[in-house]
Amino acid sequence: MLLFSSEEHVERWCRDWRFSRGATLSLEQGWRLAGAWYGADRGDASWRRPTLEEAEVLLSGLGLVGAFWSLRGER
Amino acid sequence: MSDPAPAPEPDVRAFVYDSCRTRGLPPSAEETASALDRRVAEIRAAFARLAEAHVLVLQPDGEILMAPPYSAVPTPFPVRGARPSAYGNCIWDALGIPAMGRGDATILGSCACCGERLDVEVAGGSVRARGGIIHFALPARKWWDNIVFT
Repeated sequence: MLLFSSEEHVERWCRDWRFSRGATLSLEQGWRLAGAWYGADRGDASWRRPTLEEAEVLLSGLGLVGAFWSLRGER
Repeated sequence: MSDPAPAPEPDVRAFVYDSCRTRGLPPSAEETASALDRRVAEIRAAFARLAEAHVLVLQPDGEILMAPPYSAVPTPFPVRGARPSAYGNCIWDALGIPAMGRGDATILGSCACCGERLDVEVAGGSVRARGGIIHFALPARKWWDNIVFT
């Protein structure tokens, strides 16, 4: 996940490196995602990765829905 | 279905993340073995189990590359102000370091396209920057196919 100055620079980077354009988030959305994903203490003995279902709830709760954000299906 | 059990290797995991918090980067296998009074080979096996569980990402030699959100090696996402300074694996992880530490920080970022400096400040639980957006190149279901690229 990379940082860009603008959508135009995302488009240019994708074109230059021959990548399909993915999805973009604002920094505010990224901060909320970071808080939700990394808020727990991973050094705690009881910590575990979220289940698939929990991860889906986490993403959808941040408005990250649709095929790009789906954790299921063809990889 | 994912396993709802706690992640494996709690002692090693606790030491790894304590090292991240106190030094800004994950420890070596030798440092971990010394701290936990265990053999290096046991620690390398524990690292491998944590990597298998998608808790850590390892370098080819078996040392830790990523203890997300922390990186063991320099990246384009230095995080300053959080104590101590650290590197995130990507912009999401760079934001994850102050999110995990509940502290203020500045990410010394730059545009991946043109290199323009794009500092991102986290203060008082909010994020501030004069611009910038995050691009996810891969769909979520493919993130762990190649986590280093992701």
